[in-house]
Amino acid sequence: MKQWIRWSGLAAFIAVSLILAVVFLLVAGPLIEKGIETFGSDAAEAKVEVDSVSLSFSPLGFAIHGLTVADSRNPMSNVLQLDKATAQLELAPLFLGKAIIRDLSVDNLQFNTARSTSGALEKAAEQEEAVAEPRAEKDQSSSVLNSVELPSVDDILAREPLRTEQAGNAFQQSYSNHKKAVDDALGKVPDDQALKAYEQELKALTSGSFQSLDDFKARKKKLDELKARFKQDKAAITTAKNALADARNDISDNLKALKAAPGEDLENIRNKYQLSAGGAANMSALLFGEQAGEWSEKALYWYEKVKPYLAKDEAGTATEEDSPKAPRDGRFVHFPSDNPWPGFLLRNAQLTASTASGNMLINAQDITSEPAVLGRPMRIHINGSGLKQVEDLSADIVLDHRKTPGTDTLTLNIKDWQLRDMNLGVAGASLASSLVQVQALAVVSQGKLNAQGDAQFVRTQFSSQGKTTVARELGLALAKVQQFDVNAKASGNITAPEFSLGSDLDKQLNAAFGARLSEKQAQLEAKLQTKLEQKLQSYIGDYAGKLGEFNQLEGSLERRLNKVSELAGQNLEDYQAQKEREAREKAELEQAKAKARLDAEKAAAKADAERKKKEAEEKAKEKLKKLF
Amino acid sequence: MLSMLAKLLKALNSESAPGQIALAFSLALIVALTPMFTPHNALIVLLAFILRINLSAFFLGIAAFSLLAWFIDPYSARLGESLLANPALMEIWRDMYQSDFWRMTAFNHSLVLGGLIIGLLAVVPVFVLSKVLINLYRHRLLAWFNKLKIAQLLKASKFYNLYKSIAE
Repeated sequence: MKQWIRWSGLAAFIAVSLILAVVFLLVAGPLIEKGIETFGSDAAEAKVEVDSVSLSFSPLGFAIHGLTVADSRNPMSNVLQLDKATAQLELAPLFLGKAIIRDLSVDNLQFNTARSTSGALEKAAEQEEAVAEPRAEKDQSSSVLNSVELPSVDDILAREPLRTEQAGNAFQQSYSNHKKAVDDALGKVPDDQALKAYEQELKALTSGSFQSLDDFKARKKKLDELKARFKQDKAAITTAKNALADARNDISDNLKALKAAPGEDLENIRNKYQLSAGGAANMSALLFGEQAGEWSEKALYWYEKVKPYLAKDEAGTATEEDSPKAPRDGRFVHFPSDNPWPGFLLRNAQLTASTASGNMLINAQDITSEPAVLGRPMRIHINGSGLKQVEDLSADIVLDHRKTPGTDTLTLNIKDWQLRDMNLGVAGASLASSLVQVQALAVVSQGKLNAQGDAQFVRTQFSSQGKTTVARELGLALAKVQQFDVNAKASGNITAPEFSLGSDLDKQLNAAFGARLSEKQAQLEAKLQTKLEQKLQSYIGDYAGKLGEFNQLEGSLERRLNKVSELAGQNLEDYQAQKEREAREKAELEQAKAKARLDAEKAAAKADAERKKKEAEEKAKEKLKKLF
Repeated sequence: MLSMLAKLLKALNSESAPGQIALAFSLALIVALTPMFTPHNALIVLLAFILRINLSAFFLGIAAFSLLAWFIDPYSARLGESLLANPALMEIWRDMYQSDFWRMTAFNHSLVLGGLIIGLLAVVPVFVLSKVLINLYRHRLLAWFNKLKIAQLLKASKFYNLYKSIAE
């Protein structure tokens, strides 16, 4: 037995293990630091920097000192910054490469702090330069919108998709398409000169007698060719007539639609931009839309940042569970347990965040990369009691990705929020002060957002700095508002949800605006109508006159078709028939001549008899005279 | 690597007991067929250090059997998967899963379980086969090989010098 045991081997094993442990201890801190910076920067799309990472053995864990996460959208500020984060690890799962953090505590977590150097990643900075121009345009456009007090006629016409423009473009497109088709068809139709030429050619062929059978055949051949051309011409004229009819019908329909379009546009715009009763939804959207949009944009931005990791979990779990074959690298099969070990798990985190409004306590539980293994949803609770302007703020976020599809829920309650100097961005109006209660619920599942929020504003005081008539009217109307509710809804695809904002402020404003706004509305509508008519005329132009030309062309084509049909109806006489006809004509001529000669002889004989009779009478008269 | 190969050849050609080399190959097989960084592999490495087996053969065996493992791994994982999903064994797995000790062994990893089962089943045959082959090599193949011209050529090579320096 002794010859099988090598005690020096045990010493060597311990020595090797110790060396490995020392090396690990030396490199673990920098490795963790590098890992946080590398993977953090990839995730945040901005620089993530760590001052140092230290390890501890009792309890087992590590501490991150001086962590900053730059804002990818504003590289000169940090999204968050913390002085120290201390994590306590569980030992046993570490042997299997699983990081299970029992507790994470964070000291002095701050948001939106300034940076001395840019936090943009080099690659991102290059891309930013490339898109700088479009972004500048976007900023410019948004600033233009910000400066708008209430929509002017031009703004409305520029903002709204106009039926008049669509119909106008369709009309012009239809005209130009048909014009080309008609012109092409007309190009193949014989003109008056060609018809005359046909006539002469036909006359030459059909008049005069045939000199011979060959002469007849030659004429017959030419006539057949001519008739073939007539046939082609008739087809061309028919095609042109059809093209013309199609053009006239289609252009007429489009013209009819175009003429009706300004009316439809006016009706649509009237419904949407009604400043009189019922148009208040638009007004509250104008007043609060920008602020609500800003908040929503921020929330959705951060959700989009987190979402890929949640989706990855779902995809991974689904693949592992649904795959009929075991992967070649194997996988952990989990069984029901009170204490499962996913690849990464943060059991409990306590964070105290310093914000401009005061300290917020953030508590996160069961944050994991494998929610299906853990069997519990991830929960984040944010509490802000005793904030400067808020009596109590409570937000519960539940990220439930145990099954596919996952469901993420946010419940928000804000109690007694003392809102001050909230710029409404419209007509120089601002909400000087108000006490607000907010309740909101947002659910995201399968990439679809369904959110609803209600806010009750009481003890409201508005101020208005606007100089325009509308701004003054709005200021006067807002001054009478003591309390109002706002309800917001968002639904649809998470990347581009549709927002709607409603408020009973609208009714109050409508009552205050009353008849004055109706008058303004009428003026606005009159201006809109004028502008739309101008647009209509710019599209119709001289096209109506050109439609008349189409009608004339149709008459001309009809006449030409008749002429060609008439010409095509003429035939060449049969050679034999012509000869018989000529013989018959000759016999008839001779008969006529003989008859004429006979008649002449008869007439001469008759005249001679008459003359003789007359002479006899004369002689008889002379004799009688001589007798007396 | 060359020096390790030279050491293996020295061991094969020397008076080291064939059983010591064969056991090194057997232990290497288990390490190679299961994921490297697991508690049972640490235990096997400890055994390899403590037991008087040939370490060069052990480490070269790991390298050689790792190539074999590349082909076997999918089957090992499938075996582990089927065992872990076997309803008859479910109660055992569930009980073991409740214990941190057993969970640390990664028994619930399909490749670890499958690879370990195949490795354990193959330990004895590999031990016996290795021992037989080493004996054959020493008594027949080595003598025959030394007579070959190619052996003469190899003996003139740099590698043989290295082998010789280690052997001496």
